[in-house]
Amino acid sequence: MEHYLIVARSVTYAQRMQMALTRAGIRCQIFRAPRDLTDMGCAYTVQIQATDLTAALRVLREASLDPVQIFLEQKGFYREVKT
Amino acid sequence: MIYLDSAATTFQKPKTVPSAMTAAMRTMGSPGRGGYPAAMAAAETAFTCRSALAELYHADSPEQVVFTMNATHGLNIAIKTLVPRGGQTVISGYEHNAVTRPLRALEAETAVAAGPLFRPADTAEAFKQLIGPKTDAVICCHVSNVFGFVLPVEEVAELCRRQGVPLIIDASQSAGVLPLDLKALGAAFIAMPGHKGLYGPQGTGVLLCGADTKAATLLEGGTGSASIQQEMPEFLPDRLEAGTHNMPGIAGLLEGVRYVRKRGEGAICRKERQLAQLAQEGLRALPGVRVFGQPDLLAQAGVVSFTAEGRDVESIGAGLAERGIAVRTGLHCAPTAHRTAGTLDSGTVRVSLSDFNTQEEIRAFLTAVKAILT
Repeated sequence: MEHYLIVARSVTYAQRMQMALTRAGIRCQIFRAPRDLTDMGCAYTVQIQATDLTAALRVLREASLDPVQIFLEQKGFYREVKT
Repeated sequence: MIYLDSAATTFQKPKTVPSAMTAAMRTMGSPGRGGYPAAMAAAETAFTCRSALAELYHADSPEQVVFTMNATHGLNIAIKTLVPRGGQTVISGYEHNAVTRPLRALEAETAVAAGPLFRPADTAEAFKQLIGPKTDAVICCHVSNVFGFVLPVEEVAELCRRQGVPLIIDASQSAGVLPLDLKALGAAFIAMPGHKGLYGPQGTGVLLCGADTKAATLLEGGTGSASIQQEMPEFLPDRLEAGTHNMPGIAGLLEGVRYVRKRGEGAICRKERQLAQLAQEGLRALPGVRVFGQPDLLAQAGVVSFTAEGRDVESIGAGLAERGIAVRTGLHCAPTAHRTAGTLDSGTVRVSLSDFNTQEEIRAFLTAVKAILT
């Protein structure tokens, strides 16, 4: 299954994203960011199903929550996507 | 023990507080330090606590809620963010050393808005006279830790907004008892302990940061975020939370906050005021006792100070301690407040209440004071 990983600047920010998405009915989970995804050193990501990306970005935008980066996860490989 | 020293720290806590602390020690790691269950359990608890406090104090975001060791820690961050060395400040006449000592360390020029006790309009007017275009920050406690005087923070906040001067509120005595609205007040910072009216454990505190406030760091170190960069992150709460979190403390604080929200600040305040009124009436009936208080407690929270003619306040405190009653005596780390009220030489005996005190305890206290003084 394909997922998107939304990179957050901190665990608290990821939790804010998770709260906003959950309230909007979008299922998501917080994970540590794979080391080679980000040059921040340590980061957290919010994982959503690929089909939820558009809705998720709208919810995050409405909540003034800015992703650091977004990656598409396909079979263990990551590709950054620009929105 | 009859505990009447809640202005220092509340001793009786909701049962859920120690339970949560024990559970945290058994189950939690550090928030932001891993993706494994123990770290995420800690992150969840920290976030839930931030969210509860953000709702209680009307912060836009849980990120504006910074965990500190105590109110003094938060006040130091706030003051050292806003007041440059040799800067100009206006403070109330009832500030604690947690405010005045950092200002002294900064060699700040400090003007004291010294309105008389229990006259909030006069205090607001004193602030109005002193706040000017060169004022770097105004600092005002919400409630005096010595006298329970409720200061007019709303009016002071309005003066600050009008003049564009940042405001720091010390909510050490009001947190959990009186409402505060960070957003409406437009305060730069509100500092509070977790271990007093919020019923958390010692070692916890909270600094609420205004949405537009760029805070200076007091400590630098690991935050579990942006680890590659050597400067502290610009974003909250990480910027102000270097090092490992006090997770048992935060877990306990969360339960304390839940208790306050369930009980309601209004109900807690009413109860404490009723008990304070009972204490004041009883003390006033004793010959030679001077009570610092208002009969109607309109501008007073659950703190009552008193002195007794010809008696050292320390001897009264010792006499009460012998009878199993805990009160605070002396200057209460607030010489500025005593200077304003004219009690710097004598100090006072302070009775401070919590939601866990009872009328029976107050009556036993009054019987004990009577026995000591006669």
